[in-house]
Amino acid sequence: MLRYAVERLIQAIIAIFGVLTIVFVVMHLSGDPTLLLVPQDASAEMIAQLRSQLGFDRPIWVQYLEYLGGLSHFDFGISVVQRVPAFDIVFSRLPYTAMLAAGALVVAIGMGIPAGIVTATRRGGWLERLLTAIVVTGQSVPTFLSGIVLIFVFGVTLRWLPTSGSGDFASLIMPSLALGAISMSTFARMTRISIIDELGKDYVRAGRARGLSLGSVVFRHVLRNAAIPVITIAALEIGNLLAGAVIVETVFAWPGIGQLAIQSIQSRDFLVVQVIVLLISFVYVLTSVIADFVYALVDPRIRLVR
Amino acid sequence: MSAKFASVAAMLLALTASTALAQTKDTLTIDLPNDAATLDPHLQWNTDSYSIYRNIFDNLLTRDVKGEIVPQIAKSWKYLDDKMIEFQIRDDVTFQDGTKLTAEDVAFSINRIIDPKLKSPQLSQFDQIAKAEAVSPNVVKMTTKSPYPALLAQLVKLSIVPKAYVERVGDQEFNLKPLGSGPYKMANWQKGVQTELEAYGSYWRAKPPFQKVVFRTVPDVSTRIADLKTGKADLVRDVPPDQAESIKNDSNSQVLSVPTERIGYLFINAQGGATKDIRVRQAIAYAIDREALVEALLEGYGKPVEVLGAEPVFGYTDKVKGYEYNLDKAKELVKAAGAEGATVEFLTSPAYSRATVEAIQQMVNEAGLKVEISSSDQATFLKRRQGDPANAGGLAFGAWSCACQDVDGVIFPLFRTGSIWAKYSNPKFDEAVDKARVILDKNERLKLYEQAYQVIKDDVPGLGLYQAYALYGANKKLKWQPTANEAMFVMDMSWQQ
Repeated sequence: MLRYAVERLIQAIIAIFGVLTIVFVVMHLSGDPTLLLVPQDASAEMIAQLRSQLGFDRPIWVQYLEYLGGLSHFDFGISVVQRVPAFDIVFSRLPYTAMLAAGALVVAIGMGIPAGIVTATRRGGWLERLLTAIVVTGQSVPTFLSGIVLIFVFGVTLRWLPTSGSGDFASLIMPSLALGAISMSTFARMTRISIIDELGKDYVRAGRARGLSLGSVVFRHVLRNAAIPVITIAALEIGNLLAGAVIVETVFAWPGIGQLAIQSIQSRDFLVVQVIVLLISFVYVLTSVIADFVYALVDPRIRLVR
Repeated sequence: MSAKFASVAAMLLALTASTALAQTKDTLTIDLPNDAATLDPHLQWNTDSYSIYRNIFDNLLTRDVKGEIVPQIAKSWKYLDDKMIEFQIRDDVTFQDGTKLTAEDVAFSINRIIDPKLKSPQLSQFDQIAKAEAVSPNVVKMTTKSPYPALLAQLVKLSIVPKAYVERVGDQEFNLKPLGSGPYKMANWQKGVQTELEAYGSYWRAKPPFQKVVFRTVPDVSTRIADLKTGKADLVRDVPPDQAESIKNDSNSQVLSVPTERIGYLFINAQGGATKDIRVRQAIAYAIDREALVEALLEGYGKPVEVLGAEPVFGYTDKVKGYEYNLDKAKELVKAAGAEGATVEFLTSPAYSRATVEAIQQMVNEAGLKVEISSSDQATFLKRRQGDPANAGGLAFGAWSCACQDVDGVIFPLFRTGSIWAKYSNPKFDEAVDKARVILDKNERLKLYEQAYQVIKDDVPGLGLYQAYALYGANKKLKWQPTANEAMFVMDMSWQQ
């Protein structure tokens, strides 16, 4: 078990390091922030001067080594655009993204899993058709559209919810719905497939033969067995929700990591982008490790194998 | 049941009572597309940053409603010789911590922004200044490297910062907790969310019109407009022309617009590709229907121009006329140049209106050329556009503003030989603009710029298309006249109940 954990950790570090290097190289090859910072009428000399002041005129490997040197003692550098430590900029946005991801996850799991159970056990009924329609809609409507439709209906027309903002619970509702909709569909489909799979197995038939109702078989036995793939998806979805909130955060003026990422990429604010990439890779790795342990909790068979 | 009803009724009553009692508006809320990058006014120079920090700081000089340069922190000024200028500083101005603003602070502000150690992106606007010194508590003497006619226009953008405070807290802390002599002081900056400013009670000009001003960061334009319509915001910046109608249709909202110094223009590469031939460039000029562009794409929020300049910019001339729309002439010229069907690359990025780029493509195609659009991100676009002429594309659309309202900041960087934007060289043009930037005589300068504009017209290394309007969405009760330099001074706003 310990050896397994250590191996996973080393793999994770290599993966994060690789991602970091690729992002560093790609961002630096496609230009630096100097041109975006100067006023339009700046002369070539002025631009060259600022570039050298900011250190972007040095060979890329020098900049890379310097960056790694800083990282080794947790110095993430100072943003050239905002002139504030890059880590502080990203860290201040983290609570917002965590809040939105949690809200979206509540929507996704709270609606997705019940929908999956119903569509798996009530096949052919009107309820299944209705829920399938909702699931497909949730999956196929892009968030920039669903976001604006939500704002128009609940914000502008009905005036039930604030059109934008981030201060209170009311302003969390619409972004969570918009962001959660796609994951909701993933959960619903995954749950459905997984349950249908289990329903075909012998223990279900045996239980039914003993006279147990379908509901009781599903709730007491099937759900637990069907949970493994759903947990895997949940782990991946948490990473996706963090990284994929770019559009939702922009539409709802939600000041999270996604919005920050897009702005920082546009302004070539390298160091901020790097911290975000590091953070998202870290969350991916962390959630998949946690998922591994949760498997073991849920399913004794996995514990035995190890 | 009835108790419940009574309490709800009481609550509603209290709500209506409180709104009825509010005689003046306490908090003004403004939606901007981006957060300020920095609030240190000597660092970042972009519209969203200065929309906020210009309310915290005063400038050495400013412009009045008509666009004339008028005193602000400087009471008056006079030239000692053509490289030395002396400013009289007001003695009734205090910073928001109560300390007095003196000539020392003004000299410090200038020397700070031109100090390479600050790494200010704005340095290029002030690099003609050699130094500034306080010769008495109320007098600052400034020396320029050469006679520099655009100096006053540039100093309109110089915010005065408190020497003692900046030196005490350091540059980084100053950026997070800025302190100036302006009408509003910083209350709370939630990065990426909003910036709250509070009225500075002892402001020297007058009492600020609102007790509080909140600048919110709302990147999506549909959301900004929804905020305006629901009353969550009182003023929103950066409204595209095609959204103006939906604001007008709302009974509580209005569109505020003003012609700016910003010029929509078409760059035509005179040093590479098919456009190297002057006849092809002239053909493109004949093929573009500027009126149609303004009508169809800007919904009238713009004005076709004859040259690459407009009235708010010093040096603008109405004596040089542009090319009229004449498709037959355009086709003839393309044929004469033997360039029928030649491919012309049109560089662009998402920062520029795709509709405009495609409309221009269509118009130029009709003259017999084959325009291919290549779109990349802004950083890559700039790298190519400012790089080697052979790789800079044949055409590019842009919106130019030097925020200095002087032609020296427009056609000099765009077309002077050796400038990063210029893919063009003509000694006649260079001579005129070089001379015009080192003499102080206004009439002489105007004459030189007229010559320069004539050369540009003949050679067509670029083409003025229209003067852009700044569009804002505002609550109907907000009274405000936006200005040509796209500043957002809350001091100039008021609320009508």
